[in-house]
Amino acid sequence: MTRWGMAIDTDRCTGCGACVVACHAENNIQTVGEEEAARGRAMHWMRIERYYDGVFPDVKVRFQPVLCQHCERAPCEPVCPVYATYRTPDGLNAMVYSRCIGTRYCANNCPYTVRYFNWFDGQWPEPLERQLNPDVSVRPAGVMEKCTFCVQRIQDAEDVAGDEDREVRDGEIRTACSQSCSARAIVFGDLEDPESQVAQLARLDRATHLLEEVSAEPSVIYLRGGA
Amino acid sequence: MSTLHAAFATPDDARRALRILGADGVPASAIEVRSSVPLEHDLHAIGDKVTSKVHWMAVLGAFLGGFALFSLVKFTSEAYPLPTGGMPIVSLPPAGVITFEGVAIGAILCTVGTVLYECGLPGRKSLGPLDQHLAEDHILVSVECEEGAPEAWAANALETERV
Amino acid sequence: MAGIAQVAKEQPIIAPLIGFRPKLFLGSLLTGLLVGVLFYSWGYQIVNDIGVAGINRPVFWGFYITNFVFWIGISHAGTLISAILRVTQAEWRRPVTRCAEAITAFALMIGGLFPLIHLGRPWLAWYMVPIPTGRGIWPNFRSPLMWDIMAITTYLLGSLLYLFLPLVPDMAILRDRAAKENPRSIKTLFFTALALGWRGTPQQWHSLEAGIRAMAVIIIPVAVSVHTIVSWDFAMAVAPMWHSTIFGPYFVVGAIYSGIAVLMVAMYLLRRGLHLEEYLSDKVFNNLGLLFVAFALMWGYFTFAEHLTVWYGHEHAEINVFNERISGDFSVFFWTMIVVNTIIPLAILPFPWGRKPLATAVVGIGVMLGMWIERYLIVVGTLSFPRLDFNVGTYSASWVEMGILIGSIGLFGFLYFTFVQIAPIVSLWEVREGEHIQHRRTQPTSQSMPVQAVSAGEEARA
Repeated sequence: MTRWGMAIDTDRCTGCGACVVACHAENNIQTVGEEEAARGRAMHWMRIERYYDGVFPDVKVRFQPVLCQHCERAPCEPVCPVYATYRTPDGLNAMVYSRCIGTRYCANNCPYTVRYFNWFDGQWPEPLERQLNPDVSVRPAGVMEKCTFCVQRIQDAEDVAGDEDREVRDGEIRTACSQSCSARAIVFGDLEDPESQVAQLARLDRATHLLEEVSAEPSVIYLRGGA
Repeated sequence: MSTLHAAFATPDDARRALRILGADGVPASAIEVRSSVPLEHDLHAIGDKVTSKVHWMAVLGAFLGGFALFSLVKFTSEAYPLPTGGMPIVSLPPAGVITFEGVAIGAILCTVGTVLYECGLPGRKSLGPLDQHLAEDHILVSVECEEGAPEAWAANALETERV
Repeated sequence: MAGIAQVAKEQPIIAPLIGFRPKLFLGSLLTGLLVGVLFYSWGYQIVNDIGVAGINRPVFWGFYITNFVFWIGISHAGTLISAILRVTQAEWRRPVTRCAEAITAFALMIGGLFPLIHLGRPWLAWYMVPIPTGRGIWPNFRSPLMWDIMAITTYLLGSLLYLFLPLVPDMAILRDRAAKENPRSIKTLFFTALALGWRGTPQQWHSLEAGIRAMAVIIIPVAVSVHTIVSWDFAMAVAPMWHSTIFGPYFVVGAIYSGIAVLMVAMYLLRRGLHLEEYLSDKVFNNLGLLFVAFALMWGYFTFAEHLTVWYGHEHAEINVFNERISGDFSVFFWTMIVVNTIIPLAILPFPWGRKPLATAVVGIGVMLGMWIERYLIVVGTLSFPRLDFNVGTYSASWVEMGILIGSIGLFGFLYFTFVQIAPIVSLWEVREGEHIQHRRTQPTSQSMPVQAVSAGEEARA
């Protein structure tokens, strides 16, 4: 059985933000504009959290790319009244845009604050609408969204593999963020496959989870504690 | 056949009138007592039974309502088995909460339905000529009787009228 | 004895139902304007998308959910007075039951609007209703929002019926009065329709009273469950300072507390505006004032218990929210709430002069404000400080949210002004019944005279 997961090496992360931009481009995420961003409505399915450790002049900056953790026991799932978010058999926390009526309970219950809401319709003035990814829907106002582990790329790879009558190979599916990371800090793969790169990284001493105490059992592993 | 209406100022006057009517052998079905206030429970025609099944119906309604909503949750969730990622299709504690509300709404609807049924509401029976006395907190006693029947029982009445 | 004297005393209750009353009409008009504000703001929001409200990430819930919990809380006034005091056979409740039940019904109707108002796509709200469509999907009964729907529907239906059932005999009284003057007027027809043909026979009274007693017993657990379930919208979530087992009872106590506050203010306004001193007497205010102070103490106890446990546990995410509440961004709100919800009520209500009508109404206004702040603190205070510190946010309500809040208060006033002009705000037959019972107690001489006690000869026939 497949269980998709991701390993993010925060010791490698430079905070460049390429993953954020790639995610926007791949998934048709709207840019809300300066005013709305100032009101706290920016939408970055993948965001870089920046923390300062220590006091000047001994300050260290920590970068932490945070995306939907696709939790095994996601707190966001039981509370949606219309079943717009659910767990797929292959380990993704899926979002059904057309079912969402916008109660925003799931966003409140997410301990990682990784859910984003479409407060307004997205604006893509000419000719920007040509950059929209045809494999991904454009969400209307009033709908919740979040990282899907680039489910369109997973489906695509599975289709190709099915046509060729084989399993999906490790490394064949690259999410937009892992594809664009300049430091190769993001690795995506099948956690159930012990040979996959992500499963090997998960077995390292440096492997942790975010907010372990909430017991949501996330599928994203953070490697930290090195340099 | 006509109806004699009499309005009494106090419950005691009305009680005396009912006593006389009972003594005269007038059947309870021919007598109607009306008041704007629920009065002492003995203030009705002799032989008239005043009962209510409301409490039993409330309990019955509670069972029916609880069963209905529990069935809704259980059978519809099983009929539309959606992927839940390991959570049970029918989760008992939430089903319990909804069943509780079902118990309440079943009891409420059955209670109100029983009250309306037992009171004969909405009622169509035409109202009498002395009805304004009810608004003034008096008691009306109406008797269906033959023309010229003895009216001694209406001796204390404020007002009488034969229709 | 009751009768003409009693009926003359009832004139202030009947007066708003007769003829044109300029002040009441003006009240309806002004509150009607506020209702317009409500629907304009809401319409604007539907047309221009939910983004016109001030909510954002991470504060995904703001004014609307605060108002929702606030109005549902207020609705517990009627249940306390009407049901609990009926069940405990407290005679002094009689003049108060109807105005309290009206508060419940209207507050529930308004509270029930807010889940629709806060939705991102309210035209799809029917997705939450379990009706089979061809889509092969179904609502999620696991969600506390679904429990909300069931609970509030049950409570609303129950409260409306509980308001309506005892209204029937009063409508009959009004019908008989109006029919004497003009059997064909619109008023007569209106009262006749609502009286449902009520005759007032002993059987009808017996059934009605049995039904009201049963409803009173049923509606108490419903009211408790409704606000418990509303509190579980928060308690079932893992957000810091939401995930608390105390929320169920805490919210129920808070709801009754805010309900009594609104009842005190409403009673004071009715007493002054309609000259109902005979019915909404000093004694009634005094007794309600004692209940008021009891609930002030209970609310204070629950608040203290909740905050002590959070502070002592010092769990990282919770202490963050706690510190902001006590000494940070939300401290002004928090300490205002403490002052108006505990210090002022406990400084005034324990004294006899503090339970006079005006004093209780003033305390009531403070408690209304304090309880609204409590819900605001719980919703916005927690959501502003998520577990991952980077995502701290701030919330400021937009004009749309303000308009809807003010409009909802206007809607409440409008419904109430209308109600006062179409139904007696003091339950006529219940008060009359109370007078009869009291009269019987003072003059019991003819109490046990059986109807059948006549001469032996007649007994044989009876």
